[in-house]
Amino acid sequence: MAQFEKQIVQAVLIADNNVWNFKPLSDEGSTALLPLVNVSMLDYALIALNRSGVEEVFIYASLYLADIRNHIKQGIAMYASWSFKMTVHVIGGEGCRCFGDAMRDLDSKALIRGNFILLGADTVTNADLRPVLEQHKRTAKFDKGTAATLVFKECSNNLRTGNELLIAVDKQNTRLHYHQRLRLNQKEPRYQLPLDIFLGNSCVSLHHNLLDPQIAIGSPSMLSLFSDNFDFQTRDDFVRGLLINEELLDSRIYVAMLPPAQYAHKVNSWPSYQLVSRDIINRWAYPLVPDMGVYRLQQQYVFHKDNIYKSHEAMVPKVSLHENSVVQAGSHVESGTVIRHSVIGANCRIGKNCQLNNVFLMADVTIGDNCRLEHCVVGSRSVINELCEVSAGCVFGSNCILPAKTKLSNTLVTSSSNTQSSEDHEAVELEAIGPQAYIVSDLTTGDPDADSDGEDLLAQQTLCIPKMGEPVRQIDELSDYSFNSDEDEDESRAVTPLPDDTNIFLSEVIDSLTRGFREKSNPDFLILEINSSRYAYNMSLKEVNFNVVKAVFGIQHILEPANDNVMLAINAVFKQLGPVVSNYIKSEDAMLDCLNALEDVCEENPLVREKISQVVHYLYDKDFVSEDAILAWHEQLDIDIEEQAHLKKSLAKLVDWLNQSSEEEDDDDDDDDDE
Amino acid sequence: MHMFQAVILAAGRGTRLPEVLGDAPKALLPVGPYPLIWYPLNLLQQHNFSEVIVVVLEQEKLEIQVALEHTPLKLKVEYATIPSDSDFGTADSLRYIYDRIKSDFVVMSCDLVSNVKLYPLINKFREHDAALAMLLFKSGFESDVVMPGPKSKHKPERDLIGIHPATQRLAFVFAASDCEDTLNIQKHLVKNKGQLDVYSRLSDSHIYVLKKWVINYLHSKENISTFKGEFLPHLIKKQHAKRPAKTTQDTTSEVGVATKHEDHILHYVPHSTLDQKITQTSLFNQSLSHSPYHGDLVRCYAIQAPKETIGVRINNTLSFLAINRKLASIWLQLCGESHPLIAPGAMVKSTQTKEIIVADNAKLSEKTSLNFSVFGSNCVINPKNIVSNSIIMSNAIIEEGCNIENCIIGHRAQVKSGSVLKNCLIGPNFVVEEGTKTQAVHLSNADQFMEIDIQ
Repeated sequence: MAQFEKQIVQAVLIADNNVWNFKPLSDEGSTALLPLVNVSMLDYALIALNRSGVEEVFIYASLYLADIRNHIKQGIAMYASWSFKMTVHVIGGEGCRCFGDAMRDLDSKALIRGNFILLGADTVTNADLRPVLEQHKRTAKFDKGTAATLVFKECSNNLRTGNELLIAVDKQNTRLHYHQRLRLNQKEPRYQLPLDIFLGNSCVSLHHNLLDPQIAIGSPSMLSLFSDNFDFQTRDDFVRGLLINEELLDSRIYVAMLPPAQYAHKVNSWPSYQLVSRDIINRWAYPLVPDMGVYRLQQQYVFHKDNIYKSHEAMVPKVSLHENSVVQAGSHVESGTVIRHSVIGANCRIGKNCQLNNVFLMADVTIGDNCRLEHCVVGSRSVINELCEVSAGCVFGSNCILPAKTKLSNTLVTSSSNTQSSEDHEAVELEAIGPQAYIVSDLTTGDPDADSDGEDLLAQQTLCIPKMGEPVRQIDELSDYSFNSDEDEDESRAVTPLPDDTNIFLSEVIDSLTRGFREKSNPDFLILEINSSRYAYNMSLKEVNFNVVKAVFGIQHILEPANDNVMLAINAVFKQLGPVVSNYIKSEDAMLDCLNALEDVCEENPLVREKISQVVHYLYDKDFVSEDAILAWHEQLDIDIEEQAHLKKSLAKLVDWLNQSSEEEDDDDDDDDDE
Repeated sequence: MHMFQAVILAAGRGTRLPEVLGDAPKALLPVGPYPLIWYPLNLLQQHNFSEVIVVVLEQEKLEIQVALEHTPLKLKVEYATIPSDSDFGTADSLRYIYDRIKSDFVVMSCDLVSNVKLYPLINKFREHDAALAMLLFKSGFESDVVMPGPKSKHKPERDLIGIHPATQRLAFVFAASDCEDTLNIQKHLVKNKGQLDVYSRLSDSHIYVLKKWVINYLHSKENISTFKGEFLPHLIKKQHAKRPAKTTQDTTSEVGVATKHEDHILHYVPHSTLDQKITQTSLFNQSLSHSPYHGDLVRCYAIQAPKETIGVRINNTLSFLAINRKLASIWLQLCGESHPLIAPGAMVKSTQTKEIIVADNAKLSEKTSLNFSVFGSNCVINPKNIVSNSIIMSNAIIEEGCNIENCIIGHRAQVKSGSVLKNCLIGPNFVVEEGTKTQAVHLSNADQFMEIDIQ
């Protein structure tokens, strides 16, 4: 063995990334084995490594280890295309909670002997990584502190799957200087980069249109860096830590770009699952396309025009199949059914007159007559009975049975009521929609540890998992620009207003509350903090009331709520910060201040403006504001001012309702008097 | 080239050159055999410009005119004077001569010494119908020169310049000193164009090619005073300006809106319906998915001069010293033709000389060793002197037995015999006493110095 050591190219595959994002299917099996166009994701990654000349692979998994072992054994037994010239080891254990743990474990086992390729099991790529590995070796020869080379791929700029990022790279030596993930909602107005990056290097390139396919080349020192810094949990932690402590750790990260002709993408959520499936079907990932016998060395499909892949052993009327569809062996589709942009697994049965659009069926799924399915995933052996309508990112676990005539959208469904792992959650009673169909809540209070690898920061920011749908195109480009330039206009033309005390106070309160919300700190401490700010800036009580409410609505969480569901966000914030607000909003006058602040918030936040009556109603329900205050406020809104008139209109219904209920009360009182 | 006018801004006061300026205008600082302003004029002449407008202060016009008449320039110089007591910035100066600009034009500063070819710049400007094209030099010309005088932390001004590498479009120009700890980059600058290169070691040559309409626009922006500091960033930002939502059709109905349009930059950009149709039907495009130039009508470009080009702005004492010391070795590259660097009227009796430049009527005596130095007109170097890496300004006198290294000896200054000076600045009219041995000091008549400073 010793004499070969130098030549062997090693790779590490990390399974179980983003497990949370694949609920409920992630509760039933390893996400690495999730089929993507009828081939499990792990196989795509293994093939990619095999094509790059890797000779030894370590698959590191923490969940469903046995399943993965079996899958690998099976693959070798049936001569899977990756099994030639490559040995595969499956390692891991229950103790491994994150990417960092995996790296530390690998370090302690001393299995890696040189530079290695590091890949997520959920990466689909046809890239040849040999040139990148060579580049890494050259860099390492030049710079002994080279810890890793990260591989990126250019992408289009108007789609966000959570893998996009902004990086700053030295143009001469491709060294990484800055690394920032882009938000899903495209809401960054500007980027703030440390000035030193630019002053310290003669030319720094900012790349904005990059996709992170989770491919890296690691030096041996990468593993030991993880061991030395036990707080590195994710690859992003590693990158951030190295960039901050460059000199202390004496390690540097470099960047390599994949050539334009090579495909790479990470499947980390349902939307990217949809995206990558379509890319595979559209042959961008060639030769990783269905008719090339990926994984199994046999012709499974016949390739027709319009990217239709149909197995010989599938019974499908010719007119049923429209563009971008894959049907595997043993499936049976009745007449009158239309299938487009969909993947049908093995041995599925689809009834008459169904409409399937962007639907991903795993093996042995049965779909009744006259169903309409759109943008959904159905786990194996599930049954969807006739006349169902399912749309907008629904996901069914395996063995579900959806009763006839059910209409569902945007929901996760599982087959049994107790699949949720009991350690993280108390046994929750799941809402049933059928004997073998229970709705799984994908809302979380934001416990980052619950989502296993926590690979992606986004999982913590958004409170529910991203779902499939029509890809959201970039908002009107034009308005984007003109908005920005108008903003500049104001900046450059008018003298910038000096931040007055009120503004500083407001921003300090926002800071306190944001931190308090994030860290769930004691409301009493927050009140103490706000009060000390208050005295520092000499704010009157009225101003304090006004600004505290404004600050609560100024928390990032409400400004950019997950899925634009602002009520949910407000509820979450008030649950935590309610005591702080009620500390200030006590008297009628204070309530009026509070509502006035809300008026301000409305002008700035369109989401709140839309839901203003619900917001006010919520505050009323939770006893933050009284009925009298609302009525008085409503009274003073001026119809002549456009915004206020609009506000008044949206509140009319609520006020009517309040009036009515109070009249009833009055009536009751009268009755009492009479008696 | 006839369609371009050229403007040279020479009304600067040289506030960063107090040590060497004396009472002469900045434009007349001696750089080798010629005054400073000759170099940009010569550059224009080499590019076949036949006329040039030179903006000068009223009080300095005559002096500059006389000085230029003594140089072998063929192009016709028109002077535009601005009031001496005014506190004009560069943008103010341009606004002042607004009615003299009849076509697209090139603006240069009077302090540029360069052999750069302007053709790539002008081609880029024409090719893309740009509003502005600017030229960038690699900085660091003076990096190997030690500033004489007391040791001070010399902090070169640095610009952060953002350029889209695919198109060479300018994204921003910030002075590094204007930024605090972070650089704020607006999203639209990187969003659609992917890559953005940020340079920190390039220096602005202060050569700009501008569209005629730009000066009309500048004329309307009366609160903008400097070109580089205010107008350039403003114009670059305006690249992304879109027409206001309300289109011209309701200008007749709403008078208020119409006047507001006057102020908008796109009001100034000539863009006829024919132009629009040409854009629509043209096959030209840089991208499959976007309209050409993303529909921007205002376009600013930056061209980098080739690495071997000489380009330096003489706007502080250090670069003044650097250019003078290096001039003899780069003269052929710079001007392309041999020019007697030792003026015919000079008396050079010294036999040990290397790369020196001597002006008219300078008297360099025998038994001296003179290297890498510049000697101004009427200066006198007595025998038994060693002078290296230094500038001896006009009418200065070096008596016998001195050793002068890396110094600037001001106008009419006198160094008495036996002095040893290293890294010193000797102000105008100052007299260095006999036998002074010193280094790294700035010697000047304080009141004189003050007077210059106020000026």
